[in-house]
Amino acid sequence: MDLEDDTTVLTTLKSFNSFISHNEPPQRLSEHSVGSGNLQSQYKRSMELLEAAERLHSKNRYLQLDQEKKQMELSHKRARFELEKAASDSARDLEHEFGRNQDLIGQIKKLEERETGAAKNLTEQTEANRALRKNLESLNKKLEERDMRLNTSNQVHTNTHISLRDEIRELKQKIQNQDSTISTQTLENQELQEQLDLQRRKYQEVSQLCQSLQAAQSSCSEHIIKIKELERRLALQEQDIAIVKTVKAEVAKVPDLEKELKRLREDNAFLRESRENCSLLKEEVEGLRRKLERMAKTKEELVNMELEKEKLKAWENLGQSTGLNIRKPEDLSREVIQIQQREFALKEQNYTLNKLTQQRGKTLEEQKKRETQDALVRRLQKRVLLLTKERDGMRAILESYDSELAPTEYSPQLSKRLREAEDVLQKTQNHNAEMEVIMLLHQAHFLLFLSQVELELESLKKQQASAADSSSLVTKEEVNILRQKIEDLETERQRLEEQNNILEMRLERHNLQGDYDPVKTRVLHLKMNPTTVAKQQRQQEVEALREEVTHLRELLRSVQDGTALAHSQDDSSMHTSGLGLSLPPSKEVLDLRKQMESSELRNQRLKEVFQRKIQEFRTVCYVLTGYQIDITTENQYRLTSVYSEHMDDSLLFKKGASGSMQLMETEFSKTLGEMVALHLHHQKSIPAFLSAVTLDLFSRQTTV
Amino acid sequence: MTSTLKGITLKGSAELVAEFFSFGINSILYQRGIYPPETFSRVTHYDMSLQLSTDPKLKNYLTNVVSQLKEWLFECTVQKLVLVITCLETNEVLERWQFDIECDKSAKENSTPREKSIKTIQDEIRSVIRQITATVTFLPLLETPCAFDLLVYTDKDLAVPEKWEESGPQIIDQSEEVRLRSFTTSIHKVNSMVAYKRTDSV
Repeated sequence: MDLEDDTTVLTTLKSFNSFISHNEPPQRLSEHSVGSGNLQSQYKRSMELLEAAERLHSKNRYLQLDQEKKQMELSHKRARFELEKAASDSARDLEHEFGRNQDLIGQIKKLEERETGAAKNLTEQTEANRALRKNLESLNKKLEERDMRLNTSNQVHTNTHISLRDEIRELKQKIQNQDSTISTQTLENQELQEQLDLQRRKYQEVSQLCQSLQAAQSSCSEHIIKIKELERRLALQEQDIAIVKTVKAEVAKVPDLEKELKRLREDNAFLRESRENCSLLKEEVEGLRRKLERMAKTKEELVNMELEKEKLKAWENLGQSTGLNIRKPEDLSREVIQIQQREFALKEQNYTLNKLTQQRGKTLEEQKKRETQDALVRRLQKRVLLLTKERDGMRAILESYDSELAPTEYSPQLSKRLREAEDVLQKTQNHNAEMEVIMLLHQAHFLLFLSQVELELESLKKQQASAADSSSLVTKEEVNILRQKIEDLETERQRLEEQNNILEMRLERHNLQGDYDPVKTRVLHLKMNPTTVAKQQRQQEVEALREEVTHLRELLRSVQDGTALAHSQDDSSMHTSGLGLSLPPSKEVLDLRKQMESSELRNQRLKEVFQRKIQEFRTVCYVLTGYQIDITTENQYRLTSVYSEHMDDSLLFKKGASGSMQLMETEFSKTLGEMVALHLHHQKSIPAFLSAVTLDLFSRQTTV
Repeated sequence: MTSTLKGITLKGSAELVAEFFSFGINSILYQRGIYPPETFSRVTHYDMSLQLSTDPKLKNYLTNVVSQLKEWLFECTVQKLVLVITCLETNEVLERWQFDIECDKSAKENSTPREKSIKTIQDEIRSVIRQITATVTFLPLLETPCAFDLLVYTDKDLAVPEKWEESGPQIIDQSEEVRLRSFTTSIHKVNSMVAYKRTDSV
């Protein structure tokens, strides 16, 4: 502001100055031109301007001064402020330092007091130090004395130590010597055992050889016996062969006999068939007979009819042709009837005569057959006789042979064949007997038939003599009988047809199921068919599976046995049993087992050795000290003297916690009260007490 | 093709019947599952698709049997062909497929061929094989492993060939029988039937 004011002031001053200088020339110019008025106005103007300028100038100065004053005041204020601050700060500092001073003074005082205390302490401690040093010196002296003593004792102890060590070394050497002797003895023992085993094996081999020799000798003797038997058998068989050859020829006749038997059987069958055929032929004959009757009847009727026709035709001419006195047809009819009756009777006669002739013919034929069958029967009987004779002859021969030879191969066969031939002969005889019976029956039937026929002939003859009505009655009866027979046969036929149908159904069913007639058909199949192949494969699979199963079972058993062995040997190693179950005993397991066995053996041996040693030591102690020392319980020791009067006299010592031995109260110790008091309580020496006791007991013994 | 337009000779009829048997046996084995289905391949014959086995042992066996059968058909000495299905575990016969063969013995080697068209014979064979396939619906399931065998009923006086042997009829105990269709070539007539073991219904 000041500067601006200054600049404005200066600019105004400059403008003023410039105006004035400008005004002056124009004033000068216009001094002449314009009158005094211009000059005066200009002068006034200039004077006003000068005054204005002066005013401005003073204002400026005033402002400047104000500003300076303000600045001065401000600076004064600042200075005052600062001074006040500095004063306050200095006052504070003063106070701080004052406090510090006081503190420091207090501290100084304290320190001075401490100094005095410390000085006192120092003096005291120096005094104590001096006292302690004196003590130390005294103690040192004592220690030195002790050291001297300990050294002397140490030397003594080392001497004893060395001596003990020597003793221990000697004992160890002794033990080693004994071990070596033991080992050598064990080696000798093993060698001896091996020799023993060798000897035993040799002995076994020798015994086996002896046994084999004996067996060979026995087998040789048996062979010799067998050879003799075989030679005997050979001789017998050669004899048999000679016999057999002679018998063979005779046996060759047997097939011929069989052939004749066959022929006889065939003849029998043929005769049976012929019998059946006879019956069949009879039936046919009857049927034909009936037919013939009917035909004859029809023929007669025809003929009658024709005759009637003729007669009727001639009836017309009758009146002319006939010479008879016929006027009425009734007469004719009567005559005709008469003629007819005559004719009918004649025809019946004719018919019966025909029947008789036929029957006669049949009887003749059957007689012929019977004669032939009789001839056959005679022939059969002759043959039977021959066969029986031959059979007897064979039997005699065979019996003769049987009596000579007992165990041969061919005679049973021959006897069997003979028996069979005999059976067959018997059968044929039975057959022949039956046949004869049948023949007799046939003959009887035939005779009956003949008799019947003769009866019929007689009846017919009677019928001829009698009226025609009786014949018609007989024929009617025959017709009824025949009708009944027809009905019966028809019912039977129906029944047989039903049976036939049922059997056909059954046959069909069986055919569907696959049945067959073994006589006519045969069932074939290929040998290598899929069913057999599949069955074989199945069999093989089953066998393979069974083998696997047995093999696995054996493995299981062996493994279980192995684990059982392991269990029995070493109970502590239970974990090895788990491994053993899963695998078969491997080499490692076997080695471990061997090691276990050897270590156990060693343990046992060591135990034995220790036992022996302890026994020896105890006996030596007993002998030398005179007391047998037994450990009853943990820390209690019982001593029994050599010279004790009773078995139960013993002293009990207990080992205390501190390691010292104390005598326990026993019955025996009660008796030794004096010695206890003297040696233990007074002298505090157990060995002395013990030795006193032994001496006392010894003295008692010797005196007693 | 032996069966030409002229007609059916004895030789041609024997070949037709043998061919029918080979296809029929194959389809029965496939339907009853005696051999696994993947061992069968599809072929076309008689105007229909049939399953034929590709197992070499089985094929060898079938060709042996069928060739021998053809000879016997030519000689007219065979009466029946039976396919027997047995259970391997219990050795029991479970099914029996029986084909009765009736031979017209008047048709000798050199007689005139008979008038019957191949087409009708093939139609008849086709219907028989279709019926065999349809029987699967009522035949009981074969659950256990089974094997089959082929039996031939021949005349008693026939000479037994080298690789063949006599066997029993292998009849089923307590069976149900069903008669199927038949076909004829005018010289040979083949009747088919199936017998199966009665299953006790629970």
